[in-house]
Amino acid sequence: MTLKKYQQIKLVIIVIISIIFSQAIIYQNYLIPLITLIISSLGLIWLRRQVKEVVADERDYSNAGKSASLAIQIYSWITVVAMFVLYSFKDLNPSYEPIAMTLAYSTCLLMVIYSFIYKFQNKIKFTPSKNKFLFIIVVLSIIFGVFTLRLFSGEDNWVCQNGQWVKHGAPSFDAPKSICK
Amino acid sequence: MQTKIKEYRAKLNLTQDQLANLVNVRRETIVFLEQGKYNPSLKLAHDVANTLKTSIDNLFIFDK
Repeated sequence: MTLKKYQQIKLVIIVIISIIFSQAIIYQNYLIPLITLIISSLGLIWLRRQVKEVVADERDYSNAGKSASLAIQIYSWITVVAMFVLYSFKDLNPSYEPIAMTLAYSTCLLMVIYSFIYKFQNKIKFTPSKNKFLFIIVVLSIIFGVFTLRLFSGEDNWVCQNGQWVKHGAPSFDAPKSICK
Repeated sequence: MQTKIKEYRAKLNLTQDQLANLVNVRRETIVFLEQGKYNPSLKLAHDVANTLKTSIDNLFIFDK
């Protein structure tokens, strides 16, 4: 398979995934996009192996590194500003607070992942203690994952029961102003 | 930076595609190299010089 053919198929797959995702969100089905994502990822890996030409070389990796670094900076600035704006208006609409928190935590997570990968690429992968570093990363990821699940699990929230907003846990914000059906 | 890649490539009757395949990069990288718009890694410079049967010194000229 030629590189051009591979890129064309990749584009078609991305378009199909986007359509499936948008439809899944509308119909609130989260299993189909997950299955689609796994199948398409495996398909793309298989297709890439069929390409006999060089798919990416050192110039691509260099450009990818610079682009990623710039993208992280831009994303961080946008989310930090958005977070402060949303957080300062949380009294107007309590739903702004969780959005601001999500933005803040996603930025922190991005920075942490970037820092670990940079440190690994820069120094650690050349040392004998690289397995120890990877073990620490896995442990920290599990701790962070559990913490995040606890934070966003909806334990401390308002639940709609018999037409009334009822406290579930200890939510830090007032009951939603929308009508509970 | 200036390069003599085009000149040496012509001597060996190699196309950009062929040279790219021989040094395991994409054709666009050879285009950028020939135009002096990309600083290659030492390994790539070495591979290109080897393929074109010359030295890195002859191939790449850096402006002072």
